[in-house]
Amino acid sequence: MSLIVVIEDNAQNARMAAKLLGNAGHKVMIAEDGENGLTTVFENNPDLVLIDLGLPDIDGQTVIALIRQQPALQTVPIIAFTAWPEDTAHSMAKAYGCDGVITKPINTRAFAGQVGSYLEKIPK
Amino acid sequence: MVAKTLSSSKTSQQGEVRIAVPASQYDFERLAAVYNQARVDYIVPMPMNAKRMAEYIHNYDIDLDASVISINQAGEETGVGMLGLRDDGTQRRAWITRLGVLPERRGTKVGQFLMEMLLEHASGRRSHLIQLEVILGNAPAYQLFHKLGFVDTRELLIVRRPPSAHEANANFDAANVSQISDDEIPFYLKLRGPSASWLEETPSLLNAGSMRGLRVETSDSQRGWILFQRTPFQLTHFVISPDISSELAEALIYHVHKEYPMQDTKIENLPIDSVNWPAFQKMGYMEVFRRVEMFLTLE
Repeated sequence: MSLIVVIEDNAQNARMAAKLLGNAGHKVMIAEDGENGLTTVFENNPDLVLIDLGLPDIDGQTVIALIRQQPALQTVPIIAFTAWPEDTAHSMAKAYGCDGVITKPINTRAFAGQVGSYLEKIPK
Repeated sequence: MVAKTLSSSKTSQQGEVRIAVPASQYDFERLAAVYNQARVDYIVPMPMNAKRMAEYIHNYDIDLDASVISINQAGEETGVGMLGLRDDGTQRRAWITRLGVLPERRGTKVGQFLMEMLLEHASGRRSHLIQLEVILGNAPAYQLFHKLGFVDTRELLIVRRPPSAHEANANFDAANVSQISDDEIPFYLKLRGPSASWLEETPSLLNAGSMRGLRVETSDSQRGWILFQRTPFQLTHFVISPDISSELAEALIYHVHKEYPMQDTKIENLPIDSVNWPAFQKMGYMEVFRRVEMFLTLE
């Protein structure tokens, strides 16, 4: 079982992600904004972070940058979870040190597998 | 469901009653909630919490009495639009912003209703010019603004630079660098060029506060200055001295990031033809998206 932090202000999207990842056997913690997201990530040292780029308090990119600045979190997989146009999302994610992008709306059949593929890449 | 004092109402050709309520009747929390609902599936979603909404209203001179929430006959919110107002000596300008229609209400001319209300309010407050920006690619909004008489003025870039470890440049490091004090910031802002968008105009920067500045003199005696806002998480609102070489612009940007290497940076509404854009690019900035600025001159 992996611990996944979902930083997402849209409650419907967050619940859906948590349900799908929970069904796949993962433990999920939800943070509804950047500040809570940072606290949750720093305090729980998750196996993976799924983050919306558009957050209501701190930009998602800035949150990613702040996570990456923590020595213990430099290699944690961070996946941008966004409705941005795909090319923009990918270039932003790469520049800010994300490991990948999952575009909204969620493909409910593929979502847990998409996230799981990033977890599989973590060296044991 | 809301029960509020009504400011204006119109009935559509389909018999739907549309009511415009002044945004001043909403607290920041509720205002942010309506705005977020209206932008939930936007091209580039930019949600706001109550604190961010309050700052936005303060920094950009939003007049909440002139800003509107549209509601339907059942009292349900259907959209939002905000109006900023600024006086330039004897003339007044208005700025339309945060316009959005809830997804389930789109295609029912709520956007047009909101715009008509905002134009009425701007005109009633003796504005001679109304300006706005629309994200490039938002065809429905762009077409609506065009239909209402707005004309394109220019494209604006939203650019970012992720934090990165400082890379020394011996040439730039040879420059003489000094801090600009808080008291000197207004003086330097008076020296800037005239082409800033509403978000980056001097009143926006003074309202926002937390401005910092550096003076740089290079080894070949070129002199320039740079101002920027430093928030706890970001650097933003850059102003660079006019009429300087590209190399000096690079040196100015370099020294900001030398001082704050681990701060994320976002600059909004940099004119696409800005002479400083190449210098920003050389310093690691990337384009995120574009807006089109549009103006409507009133008789």
